[in-house]
Amino acid sequence: MFRAALRLSVSGARSLTRSRPQYTASVAARSYSHGKQETDEEFDARWVTYFNKPDIDAWELRKGMNTLIGYDLVPEPKILEAALRACRRLNDLASAIRILEAVKDKSGPHKEIYPYVLQELQPTLNELGIPTPEELGINKA
Amino acid sequence: MAHQAHAYHMVDPSPWPLTGAIAALLMTSGLAIWFHFHSTTLMTLGLILLLLTMYQWWRDIIREGTFQGHHTPPVQKGLRYGMILFITSEVFFFLGFFWAFYHSSLAPTPELGGCWPPTGITPLDPFEVPLLNTAVLLASGVTVTWAHHSIMEGERKQAIQSLALTILLGLYFTALQAMEYYEAPFTIADGVYGSTFFVATGFHGLHVIIGSTFLAVCLLRQIQYHFTSEHHFGFEAAAWYWHFVDVVWLFLYVSIYWWGS
Repeated sequence: MFRAALRLSVSGARSLTRSRPQYTASVAARSYSHGKQETDEEFDARWVTYFNKPDIDAWELRKGMNTLIGYDLVPEPKILEAALRACRRLNDLASAIRILEAVKDKSGPHKEIYPYVLQELQPTLNELGIPTPEELGINKA
Repeated sequence: MAHQAHAYHMVDPSPWPLTGAIAALLMTSGLAIWFHFHSTTLMTLGLILLLLTMYQWWRDIIREGTFQGHHTPPVQKGLRYGMILFITSEVFFFLGFFWAFYHSSLAPTPELGGCWPPTGITPLDPFEVPLLNTAVLLASGVTVTWAHHSIMEGERKQAIQSLALTILLGLYFTALQAMEYYEAPFTIADGVYGSTFFVATGFHGLHVIIGSTFLAVCLLRQIQYHFTSEHHFGFEAAAWYWHFVDVVWLFLYVSIYWWGS
């Protein structure tokens, strides 16, 4: 889970494949005073399940994405893959490309996250035929 | 029979339900005529008939209650139920528009940029005029309560003053909102944002005008000694309606103006 971190250390020399950017994962999405705290894995699993619903409808897809993007984190590639597949089931290419734009936006100043996520999603993007904003030339406003 | 042996009100035959129904027919068919044949005559006729119906029907109710004594306790109870049921139906009316707003804003479509407010929309700053409007309506809720207590305590002058102040606050709200509508950087035609904003706040504004009118009628009646400290249901109904209008505004403010920005 890519959490907002107080300090970050990016892996060393650039290689052919990007290594996963390293962040201290000690800050949780919510800090409750009591009650069971959801782990990163539980959070990810919950969202993957949400987008994997076979008969998810267009409203639920959009609502899920808006809620997810509202959190102070960049979603894990496995969540994004489930969301992209939901877009495919709903014939919504526009939202699929928008998801990629949202990942770049959520990364903020951490410019290495977006290329890493694209790298992780490449097989899925190829399988589903989803172009990136860069390939379409729409990444420059 | 020389007089009735029960406390209920058997209303005398009245033409106003018929004229009201005819007005509804003329307004609706007049609307269709306007859309298709560009003439507003029929609709205007319906509107005039509606206004005449309302004036005369409610005037008759005032005559029956205030001057002829037909509004006994059980009759008043029935009027109370009626007003409560009516306001409840209005709550459901607004609920629909809030449903539309939340449906559109919780899951904004790709056409809007997948975000809310939609791309290209500059929403109004909730901490400027809308916040002032909130203060104005909340204050008017205080003044209308002051008016109620004044009536109950037989304080004629204070009742008139506080009721007048309530109406002035209502008019102030309407004027501020009209200015906001004029100055807004977006229109009703600006996608679902414009639609949800102006339909919800527009119907609210209409209800403010209706509520202010109702209160103004009460002011005239108070001046003409219609109300007693024990019996002033017309005023209470107007006050309930006014509080309802205030509550709707609070929901509008929090949902559309604040969260929705």
